[in-house]
Amino acid sequence: MGNLASPLSTAVVNRHVNEALSSPLFRKAERQARFLRFVVNAALQSPGATVKEFDIGIAVYDRRADYDPRTDPIVRVEAARLRARLREYYEGTPPDRMRIDIPKGQYVPLFIPVEGEPSHLSSELSILLPPFRCLSPDPGDQTFCDGLTEEVLHKLAQNPRLRVITHSVAAWLEERGGPKPRYLLEASVRRSGAEVRVALHLTELIGRGSTGFSNIYQATIKDIFATQERLADEILGDLSAALHIGNTGSESIH
Amino acid sequence: MLPVEDLAPADEFYGRLFQLAPEVRPMFTREMGLQAKKFSDMLAWVIGHLEHPEELSKELRALGSRHRDYGVEIDQYAPVGSALIWMFQHTLGDRFTSDMEDAWLEAYAFISAEMERGSREEPPTRASR
Repeated sequence: MGNLASPLSTAVVNRHVNEALSSPLFRKAERQARFLRFVVNAALQSPGATVKEFDIGIAVYDRRADYDPRTDPIVRVEAARLRARLREYYEGTPPDRMRIDIPKGQYVPLFIPVEGEPSHLSSELSILLPPFRCLSPDPGDQTFCDGLTEEVLHKLAQNPRLRVITHSVAAWLEERGGPKPRYLLEASVRRSGAEVRVALHLTELIGRGSTGFSNIYQATIKDIFATQERLADEILGDLSAALHIGNTGSESIH
Repeated sequence: MLPVEDLAPADEFYGRLFQLAPEVRPMFTREMGLQAKKFSDMLAWVIGHLEHPEELSKELRALGSRHRDYGVEIDQYAPVGSALIWMFQHTLGDRFTSDMEDAWLEAYAFISAEMERGSREEPPTRASR
C-alpha cells in the first residue's frame, strides 16, 4: 500500500482534500465528495487496510445491509467517475505538494508527493529576510540593526510584486512543509564612530543558488531614523533593479 | 453487442433507473416507448463515435447542457451509470465479462464527465445535430 510509505502528514493530506472538495468540480458533486472523504479517512486511519466496495455502498450511497455489489455496480460506476473527476481537477489545479490517485481495481487512495517547484510562493519573487546581523560589540548598535531590518522589511513589503517572509514565518512554513522562498536577503552592519557600513547579499535559493546581488552601503549617523530610512531606500532601489521590478515603496532609485 | 432495434434493454434500463432514483421519473414526459428508442439510438451513436472523440465530446456537451435545463443534478449521473451497467449485466448475462464492464465504466466516466462539462458551459446557440 502506497500510503504506508507516504511521507506526507495527515495534516497535509487533509488540507489537500479540503482544497479539492471546496473546488467547483466537487462542490456540486456531493456524493463523490463523500466518496473521496470516506476513502481518504479510511486510508489515514488504517494505513495498509483495504477499503471494501460494500462499505462504500453502505456509508456513501445509503445502501442497505442486503446490498450486493455484484448486482448493484453503483460504487464501481462512481469510482470510475471519481478518478475522472480527480484527473480533471488536477488538470485545472496543478497539484502543489501532493496528489491523490485511486488506482483501478481498488478503493485505497494513494497520496503521492509531487516533485518539482512546489508552490506559488517559489515562482513569485519571495524573499526571506532574517534580522540583519550586528557585527559591532556595542549593544546599542543592535537597536540600530533591528531598526534597519524593520525599515527594509517595511519598504519591501510595499511592493505588490514581492512577498517578504520573515524568519519566524519561514520557520512556521517549514514546520508545515510549506513553500520555500526564492531569495534570501542577508545583511551585516558595522559601525565605527558615526560611520556605519552595511554589507548586503541577495542569494537565489532555487536553481543554482548563486548570489544574485551584493553591495556595501555607507552612511554617517546624524539622526538614527533618517539614516535607517536613507539606507533602506538605497537598498530597496538596488534590489528593485536587481530583480527587475518597479520600486513602488520609495522615491529613490540608484 | 446489443441489438439497437430491440428496445427491451432500454426498457430495462429505465425500469432500473426509476427504481434506483424515483425522483428522476417526472423528468421523463415523453412516452416511454419513444424515450427507449431515443436512448437506444443515442447509445448506438455513442458507440459508433468512440473513435471520433472530438465529435463525441461536442455532442455529449450539448446533451449535458440540455440535461442541465431538464433539472438533472450531478449526483443523478450515478444511478444512470449504475442502471446502464445493470442493463448490460441483465441483458447479456455471462457474456458481459469483467473486461467489458471495465470498458463501459470507463466509457460512462467519460460520457458523464463530458456531459458535466457541457452543463457548466453556456447553452450552445444551436446543437450541431
